[in-house]
Amino acid sequence: MGCSASRSEPFEPHNSKTCAASTSLLSMNTRLLKTIGLAGVLAAALGFPAVMSDYWTYVLTIAFFYAAMAASWNLLAGYTGQFSLGHHTFAMISAYTSTLLMAKAEVGFGPGIAAGILLAVVLSWALGVVCLKVHGLYLALITWAFAEVARNYLRMHFTFTGGDRGLDSALLFGTLKPLPYYYLFLGILVITVGIIAVIMYSRMGYYLRAIRDDAIAARSMGVHIVRYKVLTFIIASALAGMAGAFYGHSIGLISPVMGDFNEMAMIIIFVVIGGMRTQTGPVAGAIVIRIALELLREQSEIRIVILSILVILIMRFFNGGLMELVHRLPQWLHLGGRESVSAYDK
Amino acid sequence: MGMLYCLMSMGINFIYGIMKVINWSMGEFFMIGSFAQYLLLLYVFPVRFWYAGVVVAAAIVFVLGVVVQYLLIKPMFVGIIEAKMEYATIVTIALSIFLRNVAVAIGGPYIYTPPDYAGPTKLLTLPLSGNRVIALLGAIVVLGLFYYFIKKSWPGRAFQGVAQNRSGIQTAGVDVLKYDMLAFGIGTALAGAAGALLAPVFLVHPACGAVPTVRGFEIIVVAGLGSIPGILVAGLLLGIAESLGSAFISPSFVDIYGFVLLVGILLIKPYGLFGKPERAV
Repeated sequence: MGCSASRSEPFEPHNSKTCAASTSLLSMNTRLLKTIGLAGVLAAALGFPAVMSDYWTYVLTIAFFYAAMAASWNLLAGYTGQFSLGHHTFAMISAYTSTLLMAKAEVGFGPGIAAGILLAVVLSWALGVVCLKVHGLYLALITWAFAEVARNYLRMHFTFTGGDRGLDSALLFGTLKPLPYYYLFLGILVITVGIIAVIMYSRMGYYLRAIRDDAIAARSMGVHIVRYKVLTFIIASALAGMAGAFYGHSIGLISPVMGDFNEMAMIIIFVVIGGMRTQTGPVAGAIVIRIALELLREQSEIRIVILSILVILIMRFFNGGLMELVHRLPQWLHLGGRESVSAYDK
Repeated sequence: MGMLYCLMSMGINFIYGIMKVINWSMGEFFMIGSFAQYLLLLYVFPVRFWYAGVVVAAAIVFVLGVVVQYLLIKPMFVGIIEAKMEYATIVTIALSIFLRNVAVAIGGPYIYTPPDYAGPTKLLTLPLSGNRVIALLGAIVVLGLFYYFIKKSWPGRAFQGVAQNRSGIQTAGVDVLKYDMLAFGIGTALAGAAGALLAPVFLVHPACGAVPTVRGFEIIVVAGLGSIPGILVAGLLLGIAESLGSAFISPSFVDIYGFVLLVGILLIKPYGLFGKPERAV
C-alpha cells in the first residue's frame, strides 16, 4: 500500500489529500463502493420499521443510543488515546438535568435538553482542565471516581433526585410507540458519526492521532496538546450528553442504573469488539451486539461473561475487532483489498 | 477508616510502580479474597483462627494474580503488543467485568455474612465495632510486613530497582519479567488480604470490591502515583474529610467530600501531594 508509508496516518489510507499519487482506479472504486454502501445502509435503516415489529424497532432504537455513545467514546479513547471511564455518567447527568428542570422549573423540552448538554460540557471542561495537564492515566482514575460519586449522589439525595426508584421523565413525543424515537435516535446517531467524521478528516483529526501516537513528538511539532485533549473530551462528553438527554425523554424513566459501571463496560465492549479507531466499528459493534444480547436474553449472566472473554481475546490476539475482520476477509479469500486498519500489525 | 483503604491503594500503587500499569480489576481480587475467607471460615478453619484464613486467602489471590499476569499482562513486555496503556486498561477492565459476573453466576447476587472476628469493644468510653478494630490492626500489621519486605529483604531491594529503572536493573542480573509476575501477585494479594480482613465489615457479595476500589484510586490520586508514604497521609486525609463532612454537613453525601478534596488538591498540585512530575510531555 503506497499510502501507509507515513506512520502517522495508517488509519485512513484512502484519504485522497495525502495519497494523491496512489489514488488509482482501485481507491476510487473503494470510495464509490463506500458511498453506495453507506447510502444503502441508511436507506435500509429508514425503511426498517415498515417491515419489522415494534419490538425489534425498539431494540434498534436502544442500539442506536449505544452506538452514539460508543462512537463518541471511540473519538476520545480510540483516536486520542485519552481514557474517560465516566462517559456514561455524562449521559446520566444530562438526562437528570433535563428531567429535573422540566419537572421542577417547568421549562420546555428544548431548554431542558440544552441545559443538560451544557452541564455535560461545563463538567467535562472542569474535569478536563484539572486532569488532562498530567499523564493520561489521571483522566481515567478521576473520571472513574467521578462516575461513582455522581451515581451515589443521585442515589442518596432521594428527596430531590428520586434515588434508586428513579424519576418519571416526560416523553418527547407523548407516546411510548417506538416509531418516532427510532427516527430520532437514527438522526442522533447520524449527527454524532457525522461530527466525528468531520473532526477526523479535518486538521484536528491529525492532531488527535499525533497526540495518541506520540505526545512528545506532537508537541514538538507545535500541537497544543492540552488544548486539543480538553477540547476532544468536551466534544465527546457533549455528544454523550445529547444522546443521554434524548434517551431519558424517550424511555420515560431514568434511574441511577444509567450510571452503573456495567454501562461503561458495555460501551468499551462495543467499541473493542466493533473495532477501535474505525469510524464504522463502534456503530456496527453496538448494533450487532445489542441484537445478539436480545437473542440471548435467556442466558442473562453468561452473555456478559462471554463478551468480556471476547474482549480480552480480541485485545490479546486480534487488535482491530469486527472491522478488522471485514477488511481482512478479502485478503484471506485472495481478493486483494486494503491492509489492516490496525496500526499494530507487523 | 482511611487506613483500611490503604491496603488497596498500596496494592495498586505497587503494581503501578513496578510495571507502570494500573490494575482496574483490583476490586475483584478484593472480592475473591472476601469470598475465599468466607468459604475458609465456613468449611476449613474455626472462626477463632480467622488470621490463618486471611493468610490462606491472600495466598490464593496471589496465585491467581500470578496466573493472570502470566496470561494477560506479560505479553506487554515481550514485544507482542504496542500501545501498552490502552491494552492494559481495556484488558483489566474486561477482566473485572468477567470476574464479577462469574461470581454472580456461581454465588448468585446474594449477600453472605461471615462470622464476626471479635465482639464490640470499647476504647475508654468510645464504643467501637470489634471487626473494624481488628481490620485496622490487621491492615497495620500487613503494611508493616510489606514495608519491611520492600526495605530490608533482597527481593524487596530488587523491586525497588525495577521500579527505578527497568533496563538498569536488568544489567545487574535481575530477571525483570519474573519480578513483574511476583509484583502483580503481591499487589493483588494485598487486595485479597484487605478483602479477607474487611469481610465482616463490608460483607461478602460480588460487587463488594467497588467501594474500596474507588477509595483506593482516590487515595492514589491524592497521594501521587508511585508514592508509598503519600498513601498513608492521603488515606488519613480522606478518612478525616469524610468524617468531618458527614458530621458537620450531611452524612448522605459522604462520597462527595472526598472527591472535592481530591479535585482541590489536584488544582494546587497536579501530580498529587507526593507525586513527582513525570518527564514533561
